[in-house]
Amino acid sequence: MSQNTNERQVDPSIRPLLRSLLIEIVIYIPLVGVFFVLVLRYASPHLTRLYHDNLTAYAVLALVLIIAQGSVLELFTSWLLRKIGLRH
Amino acid sequence: MIFPIAGVVISPILLAVIGFSVGVLGGFFGVGGGFLAGPLMFWTGVPMNFVIGTDLAHMTGKSIVAARRHRALGNIDFRVGTLMIIGTIPGIEIGAQIIERLEFMGNIEQVVGIAYVIILTSIALFTGWESLRALRLTRTDQIEASDALGVRRISHQSPLFQIPPMIRLPVSGIERISVWVIILIGFVTGILAGFLGVGGGFVRLPLMVYLIGLPTHVAVGTDLFEIIISAGYGTLSHGLKGNVDIMIALTMLTGAAMGAQIGARATRYFTGPAIRFLFSFLPLLAAVLVLIQIIN
Repeated sequence: MSQNTNERQVDPSIRPLLRSLLIEIVIYIPLVGVFFVLVLRYASPHLTRLYHDNLTAYAVLALVLIIAQGSVLELFTSWLLRKIGLRH
Repeated sequence: MIFPIAGVVISPILLAVIGFSVGVLGGFFGVGGGFLAGPLMFWTGVPMNFVIGTDLAHMTGKSIVAARRHRALGNIDFRVGTLMIIGTIPGIEIGAQIIERLEFMGNIEQVVGIAYVIILTSIALFTGWESLRALRLTRTDQIEASDALGVRRISHQSPLFQIPPMIRLPVSGIERISVWVIILIGFVTGILAGFLGVGGGFVRLPLMVYLIGLPTHVAVGTDLFEIIISAGYGTLSHGLKGNVDIMIALTMLTGAAMGAQIGARATRYFTGPAIRFLFSFLPLLAAVLVLIQIIN
């Protein structure tokens, strides 16, 4: 039998995870609401026009948008959790 | 809500909930979750030609969120991830070419479907058996490490794994391994991903653990890093063909971002064998979904 020497300390308490999950839900619900109203409503016609007029520009912009949204969401919630002392 | 690019009316809440569910799986197991998100998107009414491209776009964003979290936990081996990408991209192209060639020969969907079911079932059975064995050995104190394996790694046995140039992987605790092994695994999983039309995470993760010898937590994080690049490449490729509805992908990402963070963080509470045991149910679930599609 082989074993891995790269041991990992497993946190015995799941409470910090549940606590930060709850805070994330509280943060996310209004964020998602604002996102649906602002971004989807106002960006949709412009993106649809670009999709029909210039597919190459649309493909590049689609990739940029998804990377930007992923990065911003992660940075924002990490910053917020760090500020309130629940960084995990 | 109307999504005019794909020409469908879907509730954004439903898309966010689908994103959340797939995000938890992605963050915890290091998989893209295309096997689950694809059928669910199709079920909500997204046209089939938009399903794969849009899913790849949402997968890119979700993997960024989960990978950043895993990076903070020290779970990404960038050397392995970068070397695997060198093999993955040409692999995906070759896999896609094989599909195109086979399409001329007839009933391709059933051939791919059956191959998919066989591969997934084999992975599920092997990973389930091995992780149970490792969990039992850990419980009886025959092995101490929390990331113990129930089988001997192939990289420790085969002389083929010693072909130069060799590389040291300090993040994963590996002293010497052939660069070619890592590139080859990327290449093979890339072919499978291109051939099966999925991200390939649930093929890559066991290979990284059993062949290269990465600790499970590092394999999960490294796989997510790999998915960012391969899914990003797929997004661009499908976007150029007009198969991406970015509004749907962005909506799914609102839920997936949260799910991915929770999933990534939850890995701290499980040992390597426990993660692998839970993981073994994923390919089985995917195999059942494909079987249902074939029967229908």
